Amino acid sequence: MDEKQQEDSLDRQLREAAPYIDDEGFTARVLQQLPPPRRGRDSLRAVILLGITLLASALAYVLSDGGRFLVVAMARLTALPTLWLLALAFGSGLFFMAGGVVVALSKASEPRP
Amino acid sequence: MELTDGDLIARVLVDDDQHAFGELVRRHQSSVRGLLRQLTRTDVAIADDLAQETFLRAYKNIRSFRGEARFSTWLYRIAYNCFRENARRRKEFVGIDEEQLQSEHDPQVADPALRHDLMYALSLLSLHERSAILLCCQNGLSHEEAARVLDIPLGTVKTNVLRGREKLKRSLAAWGPD
Repeated sequence: MDEKQQEDSLDRQLREAAPYIDDEGFTARVLQQLPPPRRGRDSLRAVILLGITLLASALAYVLSDGGRFLVVAMARLTALPTLWLLALAFGSGLFFMAGGVVVALSKASEPRP
Repeated sequence: MELTDGDLIARVLVDDDQHAFGELVRRHQSSVRGLLRQLTRTDVAIADDLAQETFLRAYKNIRSFRGEARFSTWLYRIAYNCFRENARRRKEFVGIDEEQLQSEHDPQVADPALRHDLMYALSLLSLHERSAILLCCQNGLSHEEAARVLDIPLGTVKTNVLRGREKLKRSLAAWGPD
């Protein structure tokens, strides 16, 4: 028997020596330990977040005399010089772009299981 | 028509379908448990605990599976990491005392049948040789895939397979053709 045949024979013997292991409840045990389905958790989280947001908005509206602070803020903003407004818009754009890049990078570097 | 691993993974990703994940577990449990039993030197209880841990980690991290490798290769990698972490905890990994481990195997216990002699010969290999042989020769992974699973250079995998094969051949020489 040449070298290649010997190797093939050894590999075949190794494969044959590893019999199929019956499940015997293994899959059921794994499934029992899985965390609850994400959909349920996600919807609960969404409901909580939405509820808190609505409550906070209502509270802010009442406490700010019917949202008057928004009108005041807008009036102040329109009174700013054009250059300031441009700088503010540019700065905000940069800020959100940097945030997006950070999130994208953290998503790209996936953890090793 | 039977769904492919890719179809089942898609269902897990999109719908968090645990039945689909169950089917993946059913398909791969034998090879993962078999690999871990060989790595732990047939300690069935520990091997099955590690196999459970492997599938739980696979479920939690399934979003990081990009489909570049076979799902089974990805599972072997997780299984090997679980085994390595467990062995480190049990102080049985790289600094392992091979002589001590070999002395734990009483040659008289070995079954005279070829299969048992082969498994016994396999258990006498060093951990790295055994892992490489199990992945490449028994589970049919390419050297490149095994290198990814074991997180070692390709050349080291080839060397370990070569050395492991030579040792197995020597151990089983009595079974060869006269």
